[in-house]
Amino acid sequence: MSDSAVQGMLYGSLAAGAVGMWLATSPRTGALRVLGSFLASAGLIAAVAMFSGPGGDVTNKILFWMFAASALLSGVLMVTSREPVYAALWFALATLGTCGLFMMQAAPFLAAATIIVYAGAIIVTFLFVIMLAQQQGRSFYDYRARTPIMSIVASWLMLAALLWNFQVWQKSAPAPETGPALTAEAAANPFSQPSELNKVDSLRALGLSLFGDYLYAVEIAGTLLLVAGIGAIAIAPRRAEGTI
Amino acid sequence: MPDGRMDKIFEYIPENLLITLVAIVAAVGAMLGVISYLILLERKLSAWMQDRRGPNRVGPMGIFQPFADGAKFLLKEDVIPANADKVLFLAAPGIGLLTTMLAFAVVPYGPVGVEGVPWFLRFIIAPGVDIGIVFIFAVTSLAVYGVILGGWASNNKYSALGSLRASAQVISYEIPLGMSVLGIALLGSTLDIEKILTQQATGGFWNWYFWTQPLACLIFFTSAMAEANRLPFDLSECEQELVGGFHTEYSAMKFALFFLGEYTHVITTSFLTVILFFGGWHFPWIATPESTYTGAWIVMLLVLLTKVFMVIVLIMLLRWTIPRFRFDQLMNLSWKALIPLSLANMLAVMTVLQFGWDRWLLGPISIGLFVIAGVISVGFKRAEIRHRPSAVELSHHLVT
Repeated sequence: MSDSAVQGMLYGSLAAGAVGMWLATSPRTGALRVLGSFLASAGLIAAVAMFSGPGGDVTNKILFWMFAASALLSGVLMVTSREPVYAALWFALATLGTCGLFMMQAAPFLAAATIIVYAGAIIVTFLFVIMLAQQQGRSFYDYRARTPIMSIVASWLMLAALLWNFQVWQKSAPAPETGPALTAEAAANPFSQPSELNKVDSLRALGLSLFGDYLYAVEIAGTLLLVAGIGAIAIAPRRAEGTI
Repeated sequence: MPDGRMDKIFEYIPENLLITLVAIVAAVGAMLGVISYLILLERKLSAWMQDRRGPNRVGPMGIFQPFADGAKFLLKEDVIPANADKVLFLAAPGIGLLTTMLAFAVVPYGPVGVEGVPWFLRFIIAPGVDIGIVFIFAVTSLAVYGVILGGWASNNKYSALGSLRASAQVISYEIPLGMSVLGIALLGSTLDIEKILTQQATGGFWNWYFWTQPLACLIFFTSAMAEANRLPFDLSECEQELVGGFHTEYSAMKFALFFLGEYTHVITTSFLTVILFFGGWHFPWIATPESTYTGAWIVMLLVLLTKVFMVIVLIMLLRWTIPRFRFDQLMNLSWKALIPLSLANMLAVMTVLQFGWDRWLLGPISIGLFVIAGVISVGFKRAEIRHRPSAVELSHHLVT
């Protein structure tokens, strides 16, 4: 197959996914919504199938497709679900699927940290809010998506740009022999000074890399979070000041 | 079956898979059996502390009570409220049990890395997990889903209030729980639970982390009790205010699943307390790395299990010793006491390690921090009481 044909099929399946998402989120009849969900999943899976699959033995392949499919499917269901609580739960499942993929890439700390932060803390707060707002029944604005076309076009463009970037990157930089290696562009980043040892496979190496190679980035992110935390405390209502 | 077929099947089963299956069956089977008798023990202990007799009808001294309880759980009518969200109502107890059981996968429940253990016994389901402690925190942070969803799906105001309390409580106490262990991670420069266990066991009695990290031990134990929703922190299910909290609408086996999840959490917590702070299978003269006689591993296993049993009994005794907290007291304890204390403890460990001081300093530092915290909190309370308006002033204020 020629290069342009592959490109066409890739973006074609992405477009099918986008149309499916639109059908699934817009207020139509039930049959169309189901059809849209299937179309969206099929389009996304077809787009993913364009890329070379996972290496390794059968177990590895089965696990990869299991995690990838569950992450994608729960992502679609999260967007299309009409019940806010179910949407939050599908988001949790999508996070867990992604974490499974992290685990398979020998990044257990990333997986555990993502579970703690996203599935553990953030979604619980979501559920908290949802439960306070939704004790009985659903309101009208839960039934329909707001500006579905705009969001679908925006996300379609982002996904296409990401995939295009991947292709360019794959061509320019051949797959590294051992562990993830940094490309030349990443090395030119002023905030990162990659060491000779680019292999990040254990917690110790990860810590050394984070607090050695990327110290400035980590510190800037930490300061940003601290400022945000202080801001959140400052704008929170207080009984003593009569703002509650 | 023709000859050789069985051999071929065994060829496809790697040795590791067999060992893992043995570990899982041993852990889960023992856990379920032990939990049913722990419940009996808890009822007996409660009765003893309240000067009652406790369950004594089924079998001599009531020792067959767990079987009667099990039969009751299975045979009772299974009620699902009419307006409940059925899918989530059914899923919630399962999620609760699954997550707490999953956390046990990286906890060593016997002597690991010891000579003489038969090849098919491994005493840990998932060995060599580099991020052991973080994995446990990640998985147990999902346990709150069971409580939240159970409370929400029941469509009952008491259940909803209970689950709201539970989510606030669990999120608050996760922070001191994680930070109290960071000191040990720094001292042992690893997060792998097996390695922490081996470090203490081979280091001798005075290398138990309890001696260098007593404050962290207290914070860890307190936060873990709060995470497991045990008294004095069981505000999500307190009977006087919320009927049964998040499990008000649950009956029969689904209630039993919630209960199993809670007890599994207690057992995991007890194992972690022993492994992180009290030397694991090590005990002076009885079980040391030098004891290499045949069957030494059985003694080590028994030492570990005895320690764990003592922690569980302590948790049960605390239940009838300390009264339940009020909810704002619970939040204050976490945010104003435990989190600053665990931060200070971590800072002390970092300072000692950075400047290469003697790590025995950490014991006195911990005690000093605890005393300072006590002085501050008592001083604040005194000042508040001194400035509290008297009833006469208040009534005057109300009249004018």
